[in-house]
Amino acid sequence: MNRFIVAEPAKCIGCRTCEIACALAHGASAAPADAGAGYLATGVAGLTGKAFEPRLKVIKTLNVSTPVTCRHCEDAPCANACPNGAISTRDHTIQVDQSRCIGCKTCMIACPFGAMDVVSYPQIREFAGVAIADGVKAAAHKCDLCLGKSGGPACISVCPTDALHVMTEASAAETRALRQLRAALDTPRVEAVA
Amino acid sequence: MEKHISVCPYCGSGCKLALLVENDKVVGAEALDGVTNQGELCLKGWYGWDFINDTKILTPRLKKPMIRRTRDADFEAVSWDEAIAFAAGRLSEIKKKHGPDSIMLTGSSRGTGNESNYVAQKFARAVIGTNNIDCCARVCHGPSVAGLMVTLGNGAMSNSICEIEDTDCILCFGYNAADSHPIVARRILKAKEKGAKVITCDPRFIETARISDQWLQLNNGSNMALVNAFANVLITEGLYDAEYVANNTEGFEEYKKTVAKYTPEYVEEITGLKAEEIRRAMRTYASAKTATILWGMGVTQWGQAVDVVKGLSGLALLTGNLGKPNVGVGPVRGQNNVQGACDMGALPNVFPGYYYVTDPEARAKFAKAWGVASLPDKVGMSITDVPHAAEEGKLKAMYIFGEDPAQTEPDLAAVRKGFEALELIIVQDIFMTKTAMFADVILPATSWGEHDGIFSSADRGFQRFYKAVNAKGDVKHDWEIYGLMAKAMGYDGIDYHSTEEIWNELISLCHLYTGATFEKLAGLGYIQWPCPDESHPGTPWLYAGDKFQTQSGKGLLFASEWRPPLEKVDAEYPLGLCTVREVGHYSCRSMTGNCAALTTLADEPGYVTMNPIDADKLGIKDQQLVWVASRRGKVIARAMVTERTNVGVVYMTYQWWIGACNELTVHHVDPISKTPEYKYSAVKVEKIADQMWAENHVVKEYSKLKKGLADAANSPARVSEPA
Repeated sequence: MNRFIVAEPAKCIGCRTCEIACALAHGASAAPADAGAGYLATGVAGLTGKAFEPRLKVIKTLNVSTPVTCRHCEDAPCANACPNGAISTRDHTIQVDQSRCIGCKTCMIACPFGAMDVVSYPQIREFAGVAIADGVKAAAHKCDLCLGKSGGPACISVCPTDALHVMTEASAAETRALRQLRAALDTPRVEAVA
Repeated sequence: MEKHISVCPYCGSGCKLALLVENDKVVGAEALDGVTNQGELCLKGWYGWDFINDTKILTPRLKKPMIRRTRDADFEAVSWDEAIAFAAGRLSEIKKKHGPDSIMLTGSSRGTGNESNYVAQKFARAVIGTNNIDCCARVCHGPSVAGLMVTLGNGAMSNSICEIEDTDCILCFGYNAADSHPIVARRILKAKEKGAKVITCDPRFIETARISDQWLQLNNGSNMALVNAFANVLITEGLYDAEYVANNTEGFEEYKKTVAKYTPEYVEEITGLKAEEIRRAMRTYASAKTATILWGMGVTQWGQAVDVVKGLSGLALLTGNLGKPNVGVGPVRGQNNVQGACDMGALPNVFPGYYYVTDPEARAKFAKAWGVASLPDKVGMSITDVPHAAEEGKLKAMYIFGEDPAQTEPDLAAVRKGFEALELIIVQDIFMTKTAMFADVILPATSWGEHDGIFSSADRGFQRFYKAVNAKGDVKHDWEIYGLMAKAMGYDGIDYHSTEEIWNELISLCHLYTGATFEKLAGLGYIQWPCPDESHPGTPWLYAGDKFQTQSGKGLLFASEWRPPLEKVDAEYPLGLCTVREVGHYSCRSMTGNCAALTTLADEPGYVTMNPIDADKLGIKDQQLVWVASRRGKVIARAMVTERTNVGVVYMTYQWWIGACNELTVHHVDPISKTPEYKYSAVKVEKIADQMWAENHVVKEYSKLKKGLADAANSPARVSEPA
């Protein structure tokens, strides 16, 4: 089973700390790979409204506050839809190979959770010591579970109310077992069924 | 990479964190396992430190002393010697001509620390000779202090932040923990998980309401009526603890008489609540083994605030929810050291340690310690008295320390008029604020991160924070600046070399703090006052043995008649305006507005939140720019249309410099605490047809404001004229 991040709406207070942590974890920060979410040598300074592209988004309705992010679907519509083979399963997660992304946005339309975003930024190429514009590069942005970062997903490490968790095959089985038990105990005792 | 222990400089939760430092520059923050935060931080703790590095996102750090020789002149950079000579000279002149009470000073409830506040009030009392010193407790939990001092004898939270999660019932009254104190909100969530019942009284469907067992959506301005009805239910249904009341309280008969009228049925129309809801809430509260009341600005920022605080403490007294763990009354402090500024006596009526200035014995004690013949015996002026007193000519000078009244006080036009009427304004700060723009003298100080000291968290907990980096620029510690000023005015008693020296003097004078030594507070140390001697561990919860700190030792039951808010909505101004907080920014925003991540989440002109029904009526769509106007002013803001906001009232947060809601608020104050009624002004909201123009207007105004502040902060030294 693919791993994914689940949020508990009952614990979320809508503070958006996770959004900042996410944007910074994927920014141009020069933070060493083993740095925690609070290390932001160039991260914070590089953050601006335009470049703020968190891969999870806190949604607030009347009754719900919760971040929404990628479910790392088993039969992922984004991967199925990608015409260029840029999206694949790796290490029980759905990952994008940005070098193959052409910015066609098919994945964005295919995703039923709105978890995929396609962003573009100007490409700069160095030629004879001079930086020159070299068109635009697109990137399909989605939760990558901070794969390869030692502290695990940044959003989880900063959440002040502990509302975010990684759901793995084992933790999903545990949750199911608990709920099955609860269902059994909560079933009304029916003495006789006519 | 170095790590330096600190305490978050924002809300009063007292979160311990480490500042990560490389090459004498702060590069990050890390959560530490502090008593209140247990290794967690909110976004301000994680990402609220880069202002130290002078990011210039909103306004620059002050890096050199500046003076303005006349009001129409530009600032000029000067040496410390010249700035101090100028400021002290002018201040002495005014004192001589108009008397010490013509001078007003402020403490600072923010990143400066307890030592500087102690020194500031010592400067006011021993050097100037006035009790005219106040801090922003006045505009936040002033009523909690005033009310609880009368009913229970101590103005602070009775119990600890940590205990919240182990209470069986939480009554949240006018308190939006998720936006004000995420780390306290976390305790409420934990309490809920452990099975506590949560009752939320708030006109808005705030985050806590989502997880509450009961949400009482009371009408704005009906607090007193609801609290009286609560008391009425407790008494008439026999839910109160008669034995506890008989043994530990006084005033019950009078109290009973006053609340008799406030039956749940009687207050239905005032509060907009069904009688049955009110009864149910009190049955839940009274039946809980332990119950805690938490409140915030929704209780205190009203013309009737002290009365409501007394009323809330009455509910705890009636049910015996005091004097033991996991119960009590919790006015949760909004600024990281507003408890501390009060503890240090940055208030017009008390010395450090809450000794009254009107008490001759206390005066004699402090006069002796400070080496002066006498100390002023008259209670000083409140910060909210300033505009009026200045215009009347009673007040001639103001020494503003680490606060921004030109942004945070109500009715800013009146504040500016007051400032203009003053002969001298000294501003001691770390940033070029809107207030600093009015200054005649600017004294630049070191910031949180650049100095050490002790803060008091909301639950009376002293905690040490350490210096992480060296200050850049020609700046001094706040307590050093007061020392220079004192010396220039002929007083040698403010000659300290470390915060430890100041702290030792303080604890030697205040029996409440005597045992909270510097050594005991090292590292992650946490000591809640009262801590009378060195072997004492501190006091997590007050009133052991149900001994209250009132003169009689009993809790006072005190009820008042409900009074409606002053300003009424009418055809021209049909909506109520209530000013509130948002989680990512803090106070006047000079600090968080200079943090890149926090600014990314929310920037000018800020939001005015309104219900879809009100928005539809005006043809306003979510995210559109609109005008909000009151009888006092008009500002631009961005509409946020949400069902969480109640119909008929709009909400704005007070940290925006363009969308400054305090241009609109009314200057009406509680008669006892002088706290303004920020929570209710009559306004109208107007659609702006040309949104493109409006967006450009915001950008232009914002750039103009920032340029003005930056130019002022970079004022050059005067070029000497050729002979």
